[in-house]
Amino acid sequence: MNNRGQIRNFSIIAHIDHGKSTLADRLLEQCKAVTQREMEEQLLDNMDLERERGITIKARAVRMEYEADDGNTYQMNLIDTPGHVDFNYEVSRSLAACEGALLVVDAAQGIEAQTLGNTYLAIDAGLEVVPVINKIDLPAADPARVKNEIEDIIGIPAEDSPEISAKMNLNIHEVLERIVSDVPPPSGDAEAPLKALVFDSQYDPYKGVIVYMRLMDGCIRPGMRVKMMATGAVFQVLECGYLQPFGLSPQQELRAGEVGYFTASIKNVADTRVGDTVTEADRPTAEALPGYRPARPMVYCGIYTEDGSKYPDLRDALEKLQLNDAALSFEPESSVALGFGFRCGFLGMLHMEVIQERLEREFDLDLVTTLPSVVYEITKADGTTVHCDNPHDYPDPAVIEEAREPFVKATIMTPNEFVGNIMPMCQERRGVFKDMQYLDANLVELHYEMPINEIIYDFFDALKARTKGYASLDYEFLDYRPSDLVKVDMLLNGDQVDALSFIAHREKAYGRARRICEKLKENIPRQLFEIPVQAAIGGKVIARETVKAMRKDVLAKCYGGDITRKKKLLEKQKEGKKKMRSLGTVQLPTEAFMAVLKLDEE
Amino acid sequence: MSKFSYRNKPLGLYLHIPFCVKKCGYCDFYSVEDRELMKEYVSALLLHIRSYGKVCSGYTVDTVYIGGGTPTCLGPKYLGRILQEIRNKFPLAEDAEITVECNPESTDKKVLDVMKKQGVNRLSFGVQSAHDEELRAIGRIHTFAQAKEAVELAREKGFANISLDLMYGLPGQTQEMFLDSVEQCLGLEPQHLSCYGLKLEPGTPMGRENPVLPDDGAQADTYLAMCERLRDKGYEHYEISNFAKPGCRSRHNMKYWDLSEYLGLGPGAHSFMNGRRFAFARDLKAYIGGEDIVQDEDEVPTFQRQGEYLMVRLRTADGVDFLDLEKRYNIDSTPYEEAFRGLMGNGLVAHQGTRWYLTEKGFLVSNSIINIVVAAGQEQMTS
Repeated sequence: MNNRGQIRNFSIIAHIDHGKSTLADRLLEQCKAVTQREMEEQLLDNMDLERERGITIKARAVRMEYEADDGNTYQMNLIDTPGHVDFNYEVSRSLAACEGALLVVDAAQGIEAQTLGNTYLAIDAGLEVVPVINKIDLPAADPARVKNEIEDIIGIPAEDSPEISAKMNLNIHEVLERIVSDVPPPSGDAEAPLKALVFDSQYDPYKGVIVYMRLMDGCIRPGMRVKMMATGAVFQVLECGYLQPFGLSPQQELRAGEVGYFTASIKNVADTRVGDTVTEADRPTAEALPGYRPARPMVYCGIYTEDGSKYPDLRDALEKLQLNDAALSFEPESSVALGFGFRCGFLGMLHMEVIQERLEREFDLDLVTTLPSVVYEITKADGTTVHCDNPHDYPDPAVIEEAREPFVKATIMTPNEFVGNIMPMCQERRGVFKDMQYLDANLVELHYEMPINEIIYDFFDALKARTKGYASLDYEFLDYRPSDLVKVDMLLNGDQVDALSFIAHREKAYGRARRICEKLKENIPRQLFEIPVQAAIGGKVIARETVKAMRKDVLAKCYGGDITRKKKLLEKQKEGKKKMRSLGTVQLPTEAFMAVLKLDEE
Repeated sequence: MSKFSYRNKPLGLYLHIPFCVKKCGYCDFYSVEDRELMKEYVSALLLHIRSYGKVCSGYTVDTVYIGGGTPTCLGPKYLGRILQEIRNKFPLAEDAEITVECNPESTDKKVLDVMKKQGVNRLSFGVQSAHDEELRAIGRIHTFAQAKEAVELAREKGFANISLDLMYGLPGQTQEMFLDSVEQCLGLEPQHLSCYGLKLEPGTPMGRENPVLPDDGAQADTYLAMCERLRDKGYEHYEISNFAKPGCRSRHNMKYWDLSEYLGLGPGAHSFMNGRRFAFARDLKAYIGGEDIVQDEDEVPTFQRQGEYLMVRLRTADGVDFLDLEKRYNIDSTPYEEAFRGLMGNGLVAHQGTRWYLTEKGFLVSNSIINIVVAAGQEQMTS
């Protein structure tokens, strides 16, 4: 069935926890795409981690057939979108594949910053936005207020929006009818050269990369030679079709307006970047679709295994993750303190956390990570410009003409009572206040320009703590700005610990150095001699603590002739030492690294 | 002249007496309060003395140590029988050091007489403290006055070589209080002093109670002050916790510290013979039942023996001589020496030529030092 008039391509925009996944499940159920029995809860998020954290990392697309009240059967393509600020670009590409979006808003909590950001993305992309008020079963539900909020803040009519409870399966039918009536059918010319938007891809060990796409013009068939317009890669299509909740459904052909996939024995997801345009190799379309942007990591950190011998396992794991995640970059690095590991690049903090957790959970690795860093831009005295994401590579201050750090446009949405808590916090983090808007009587949107350095450090936690979790943050890259940056080195017993060096703004360096010294002092067990813990900029020590020497570690009694017992006691002690990293003469436990990373959790 | 020639290998003999009137709160040695089985135990032990005496005909027993538990609570009859049987069945050296651990409350005239008669020539008294409130707190059932009386009585009976046990690091104990205990013990002019830091062992009443002890820094200061005082009084600090007047070191304990051979009889007693370590189960009834089954611990592989040797030698003031070590294990001692040199700057170790030893400050952190040194040797072996 590919009558264009009866196709509806839509996605769902919702804040974390506002019920996107549950609603998706209900839609699939109502369209009999899945039965209750088959249904795993929250079907679309098929990674454990996502389910647990209530976020969607990889977009998915599912086709279902809906027999509408008008008697027609509609092809409904639900394109799932990732729900976090790190994946803004992916969200924008998913939205570009749709004609409409359901805006799901929690009837009790109302609109949040990220929802707003994504809604604007949808509106800008020309999508028809259909508000849906969810969780009306909650005692605190206030649909009328939320509808007003939607009208006031976003400026779209919401008066007759469906009021539903996805959890209780209430009024789902109404949502489907609204999709049919409000979301326009796709346009496009099936006879024109193929022009399809890649909005996701996934590696399959048998089929190679499965490319998810939306056909804007033309058709795709097995055997066709296609070209990726941004990467230039050419492939012969082996299979095309659409996605069902439980797998692929191969078809003879997909036509303009449809959403589906193709495979072509593609080895590497890097060849099929999100946002790229697929066209016919022999009859290319004149112009690629707008909006393609190569993935650009914003945050870097070193990842090591606690057990140095697991290094090859870590490499294998990263390679496997990269098959499905073209935005993840890594290259080998080594550290005196931590041994062999990888410098990894991420889209943002959440992306980093997700990857770290997947490495630990899915690949059973115990990791040690270094402090995250952003990418600095440095113009040297000789006129050359370098990018630096690793304190280790930071040039000698003597040759630096100008150092610049990346800034983002940060949008914070908060109930107005917390504005007084947020503003000093942003100021402390070198945020430049731009403006403040009242979205409605008590909801405020603050705009700041801030160094990402300050956001990756502790901003999310601090924001949550100071607004009881009510405020939300959205950010996007703005530009590089000159900054008084310094590299701070940490020294233990006079020896530099490379893995603990960091780059910071001069004003922030002292406080951070002091706290790291304190943390190290707390976490380094006493050893046979006194250990000075120092932080230094260049040769100048800016903070110092001392781990006092151990005074007593002795078995006074030798237990008669029970040598074995004493030996066992000593061996047990030694076992503990194995988990330590030897740095020259100092033993540093893994916890010390962890503690430094969690500097601001108290 | 003894009928046994010194060409025989020397052997230390330990007998464990697993009975106490009341167990002390900190004690982790195997012993029971119920003395109903004492008679059966003595019979079983005598049997063992006979059978092992035969096995050991190729040795000369030059030290005997009767410990516990509380050997003196056996009473004169049983204690005398046991000592007698040892003389009869083991090839005893003429000048053997024969030690009995004595608890003040059960060391009376009769017990002292029988020990004297059976050739016991060294007594070790568990005094622990000169302060009765401290004694009560750790579950001792005697007072200091009783201890003093027992020691004086032993002197009267002609015991010339007397050792006293003391404990530091007791709950609530200040340095001043401990040094006062040391002083009062010195008044008894012991030839030997053993001063142990209290360690809370899991499974003991005090281990469960987990009282607050003086902190490591305070205990270390107390230890160092004690060392200084005893040195001033002419005692040699010859092992971490042991001090002796010249010529009065415990020969039996020295065997543990130079990996000499020793045989231990009784439940929970450990032996090291022919390169094998073994022990009898900590089970009185099984022992009486004649289950001559030893818990075989391990045949010690050569590379571990070096570690053991270092571990025990470094407890002593003599320390370890690398020439000995090289000869004993046919190895290159360079990595050990390097490990020692690395620690020298901190005043924890010192050396005289090729002989390296721990200082008193080093004794206090001997576990860490031993681990570092032993690891240095193992790294060499695996590389």
